[in-house]
Amino acid sequence: MESLFLQQALNGIIVGSVYSLIAIGLTMVFGVMRISNFAHGDFSMLGAYAAVFVLGIYPGWLGWVGSILAAAAVVGVIGLLSERVLFRPLLDRWTDIDIIMVSIGLFLLLENLAQLLFGATPRMIQDPFAGASLNLGLFSTSVLRLFCLAFSCIVIALLQLFLSRTRLGVAIRATSQNRFAALLMGVDTAMVYALTFSVGVALAGVGGVLYGTLFAVFPTMGAMPTLKAFAVTIMGGMGSIRGAIFGGFILGIAETLGGNYISMHYKNAIGFIIIILVLLIRPSGLFGRREGA
Amino acid sequence: MSPRARVWLKWALGAAALIALPLVVRDRYFLHLVVTAGIFVLLASSWNLLAGYAGQLNLGHAAFYGIGAYTSAILATKLGITPWLGLLAGGLMAALFGLMLGVPALRLSGPYLAITTIGFSEILRLVAMNWVELTRGSLGLYGIPPFTPIKLGSWLEIEFRSEIGAYYLLLVLVCVSLAFFRRLTVSEFGLSLKSLREDEIGAASIGINISGYKLAVFTISAFFAGLAGAFFAHYQRLVSPDTLSLGETFAILTMTMLGGLGTLVGPVLGAVLLTFLSEGLRFVEDMVKLDVRMIIYGVLLIVTIRFMRGGIVGLWNSLRSAGRTKD
Amino acid sequence: MKRRICSVSAVVVSLALVLLVWAGPAAAAEKGPIKIGILGPFTGALAFNAGEMKKGMELALGEVNSKGGLFGRKIELIYADTEAKPDKGVAAIKKLITRDEVLVVGGGYASSVNIATSEVADAEKTPNVVAIAISPTITNRGLKYVFRTSPNSPMFLTGMNKWLEEVKKPKTVAFFMENTDYGRDGEKIWSEVSKKIGAKELAHLYYEIGDTDFTTQISKLKELKPDVTFCIGSTTEQTLIQKQAKELTFVTQWIGVGGHFTEAFFKMSGAMCEFAMGSSLEPTLNLKNPETAAFVKAYEAKNPGARPGIFSSQGYDNVMVIVDAIKRAGEPSGKLQQDRDKIRDALKATDIRLSQGLIKFDQTGQVVTLIPSAVQVQLKDCKPELRIVFPKELATAEYQAPIPWDQRKCK
Repeated sequence: MESLFLQQALNGIIVGSVYSLIAIGLTMVFGVMRISNFAHGDFSMLGAYAAVFVLGIYPGWLGWVGSILAAAAVVGVIGLLSERVLFRPLLDRWTDIDIIMVSIGLFLLLENLAQLLFGATPRMIQDPFAGASLNLGLFSTSVLRLFCLAFSCIVIALLQLFLSRTRLGVAIRATSQNRFAALLMGVDTAMVYALTFSVGVALAGVGGVLYGTLFAVFPTMGAMPTLKAFAVTIMGGMGSIRGAIFGGFILGIAETLGGNYISMHYKNAIGFIIIILVLLIRPSGLFGRREGA
Repeated sequence: MSPRARVWLKWALGAAALIALPLVVRDRYFLHLVVTAGIFVLLASSWNLLAGYAGQLNLGHAAFYGIGAYTSAILATKLGITPWLGLLAGGLMAALFGLMLGVPALRLSGPYLAITTIGFSEILRLVAMNWVELTRGSLGLYGIPPFTPIKLGSWLEIEFRSEIGAYYLLLVLVCVSLAFFRRLTVSEFGLSLKSLREDEIGAASIGINISGYKLAVFTISAFFAGLAGAFFAHYQRLVSPDTLSLGETFAILTMTMLGGLGTLVGPVLGAVLLTFLSEGLRFVEDMVKLDVRMIIYGVLLIVTIRFMRGGIVGLWNSLRSAGRTKD
Repeated sequence: MKRRICSVSAVVVSLALVLLVWAGPAAAAEKGPIKIGILGPFTGALAFNAGEMKKGMELALGEVNSKGGLFGRKIELIYADTEAKPDKGVAAIKKLITRDEVLVVGGGYASSVNIATSEVADAEKTPNVVAIAISPTITNRGLKYVFRTSPNSPMFLTGMNKWLEEVKKPKTVAFFMENTDYGRDGEKIWSEVSKKIGAKELAHLYYEIGDTDFTTQISKLKELKPDVTFCIGSTTEQTLIQKQAKELTFVTQWIGVGGHFTEAFFKMSGAMCEFAMGSSLEPTLNLKNPETAAFVKAYEAKNPGARPGIFSSQGYDNVMVIVDAIKRAGEPSGKLQQDRDKIRDALKATDIRLSQGLIKFDQTGQVVTLIPSAVQVQLKDCKPELRIVFPKELATAEYQAPIPWDQRKCK
């Protein structure tokens, strides 16, 4: 029994680390630009397909690491384009309905274009460790899953360094806290917007590669991560990066344990139940600033 | 002709065309499409009441539709209750859930409300999938009876099994609902809703009971979506959890945005146009083996908001006023 | 406000006019092609399998039309997409029946959809010959116009169940099912078998179509250590389950229906699916039957490099049964209802040997003569292939019990 609990907790932590990674991008974009991007998970899907193609050319674990870089680059550029063409012209009008509608439009477009281009048949990302698995007594897992966990932790740590130690990172955080003050202090907010959106979706793209490696790559894979990322983001407080990191792990663990001990049927509802509870009890989220809600 | 008479004439012509439609067009499949469009008119118009007039972004509208459909279907198949009562019960049950969803909406706005409503509809979809004893899960409820015939004396019986009967019934439902929406939106209630949309704090400061209005508009909007759902259940005679899917909500909101958010005609126009457009796209779909409909919806949504904010109605109005200034 | 009302009515009138024009006159087909409607989930999660079915159907169509069609007229297949959703399926079959005015509706894939669509066909008095769907419900409701050219789940699992009773005799079993009637019907049948052989049922778990993370369920199964795990699902989910079972080093005898043993499944899961079992009418395993051999040969000639799977074979048979019935019913007169009734009567008398074997319907319209065998995935040079392990007279290999992951040679 104990070992089952530990095993489920580990499963949850692994999935949760990927949720965190994807949710951080969503929360950054919301914090800085007030955009609720319902197409966020579709950038994960694009990242995963980029990885499938890179791995088709360079298999093995070098190819796998390379595919993550490629995914970040490809998705970052697509993100830059969509920020410039779709979202920036809307930002001066700034109504939630408009922005959410455009992102829903983008979601419909990306998901169905992907079906057109890549077909509905799922693709598998080849395991660079040839399926080696670890049996650690109390629980077992594969080398690949541990690698995914380590990788998302590293990316999260690097992002934290970027945000706290570099000028650009500080500019992003400043804009997130108060964009008018940041503008007055000489921050190029247009540039910060572009950068934030592009980095945010690139994180989703990297998360997509990990998600696709753990599971499978298919055109409609983006919807679930989007909803989970929103759940995580609201739980942690929209705009709070720390909240997204913790929220991701909490959601991952809550889902696997809830699925195991409460009901497997409603595993995917757990995130939403948490959201509704959080919003009713503490609308600003566990780590959020008091505002907005 | 006096302007008044002209208005009357136009209305009379419109009504005659709608009444004559099934008598002129004998193509049953075409009538089926018109009925489908009519259901979407109800859905889009009721969504518009919330989003367009009151500024409440509800992304779980399909849940109300599904609640109405399941309620009436379950009453009819398990308890043998007549669909006519089921129609009302479906609307009322949805209204009850609308009221429930209105409570968190009192404290939430924008993206927070959007996510909460998505969560609401996804949870209900999972319930419909998993409460197998009641809903038969993903299999859906089939064998739902159609509306029972109405006997007028001994010589006339109106039946609703065919597309024609369903068409007339829906026509009545849609006309009554639209008339109600119109009365509502030009009344004091409607004006208060608009002030709520534009400036919530300002509305409160001039003494508008924000909570009351929010709850009322959620309840009313849900009622009409539930009504559409109950009608759909006895028309299609099958209800499955797909009725509650996000895809349905996205279709509803695309129709409304395209036609014109916050206008009475917009959702009607959007629903009819997109229903027929997606049908016209079938041949493309056969070629590319893909649900092209959703790509088009995505593009239309983006283009509408980016370049044509008031939708078709907005475009029409601005063209007309441009024409008038030229005169 | 008046102006607004004006524009409202103007819009209504013009819309009504547009609709009238759009509707146009429905041209009555006099001596055009003979139209057969085909349902299938051509987009969405089952699109790949529906494509396999379609390849078999196109093969049948080509064979018939290259010999001049029927009564000097070409056969035309009109495909309509169900997206694997019951409500979309109902819309699709309504279109086939009322707009395209097809004589018969064939095809169909996925039980949930066909239960709904067959009801529409029956209400519209149009013969519906279901190609691929195993739920008994489709043909056991007394619908007069509904037939099925593939085995239902009790028939499909007969061979497998005998093997469980006579050979495997598991002590503990677990259920891990797709949460649809496809999964739940199978669950019911196997639960009865388990009671009969005295096996303990350790768990009943489910997942939804479209789920990707099965680690919670598999971890739970691993804790329970069932001898046999019944697992019904489609290609994608089954592949992911095999993959995650490997990652969590869970060993069990997987038993499924067998519909997931597709080319795509073997390509995606590779050696991981070794030892998995199911039932199958896999045409390439049944080459002793001359009709099957002829089908396989023709299929491979038309689709170079491809191996015909069960769905191609069922699609082929479905169209052939329909064509055969139309032929026996006589040339369609153009009076739609009369033609449809004649075809329904002809379908009842079907007696034809095709790629799956002998096809004959019982009173309910269910094909009765096809009994699939129990098959197992075994490896040859680390490549998975299906072999019949039961019944003995058809067996091409011995049953192999699953071994722990660290003792398996192929990665």
